[in-house]
Amino acid sequence: MEQVGYGQTSENLDAIFSALADPTRRAILARLAAGEASVNELAAPFEMSQPAVSKHLKVLERAGLVERDIDQQRRPARLKAEPMAAAVSWLEEFKQFWSSSFDQLDDLLDELKQVETKGPKNE
Amino acid sequence: MSELPTYVLEREFDAPAELVWKTWTEADLLARWYGPRVETIVHQLEVKPGGLWLNEMKWDGNSNYQRVEYTEVTPPERLVWLHSMSDADWNVVPNPMMPDWPLVLLTTVTFEEANGKTKMRLTWVPHEASEAEITCFAAAIGGMDKGWGAGMELLAELLAELQS
Repeated sequence: MEQVGYGQTSENLDAIFSALADPTRRAILARLAAGEASVNELAAPFEMSQPAVSKHLKVLERAGLVERDIDQQRRPARLKAEPMAAAVSWLEEFKQFWSSSFDQLDDLLDELKQVETKGPKNE
Repeated sequence: MSELPTYVLEREFDAPAELVWKTWTEADLLARWYGPRVETIVHQLEVKPGGLWLNEMKWDGNSNYQRVEYTEVTPPERLVWLHSMSDADWNVVPNPMMPDWPLVLLTTVTFEEANGKTKMRLTWVPHEASEAEITCFAAAIGGMDKGWGAGMELLAELLAELQS
């Protein structure tokens, strides 16, 4: 998965969306949502080399979704929920906006049709 | 600028096009369906080329404003407008959540009636957008189209748990 256009801020939703576009990285995040983990621990279920996992972690770090301790030997990675939640809810809102609105429009149209069949308005 | 990312949404309504058109162009009807679970206030609605739709959505003491300028109006089959977020004075402002989100989205809605039902097609394309805006829009809609689906839902659930 290519990564383009990274910004420097942790709140850059553009970078977050690019980072989330990869299924392995989403799986890593799901694992981290259950608690912090080292690269070793993260690599175990993925049949993937440690360097490959490290690479994915770097992408997630740059997007501000994950932080790692610098001064510990294990350097456990942990999820930073805030930017993640912001991206998820933003995307959901965008997706939901029209589809929920259209559900409401369906109901409204049903209602208007009933009114029209009872007695057509003069327009 | 020939390869602009385009987001497409299609839906069929069980009503004739004339009726569907009304629900998009009459303020009292528009306010009743536009905006999920919010109070929609139509401050101005002039459905004609150059006309404005100034819309407020209210929920939990928050307000969200949008400014729509119609560029093409062909009843009952085609509506084209420029869609922006705005401040309370109806000045166009960037999306606070996503500064690189296109400031203006060209929105085209078409209605096609067949057998008493109406097929609607809605498209968004960045309008006079910068490279950054186009990239941002492409990344976000790309994510929606690739069907993050289950993965995203799982993450959202986990996050909700985490933050509760």
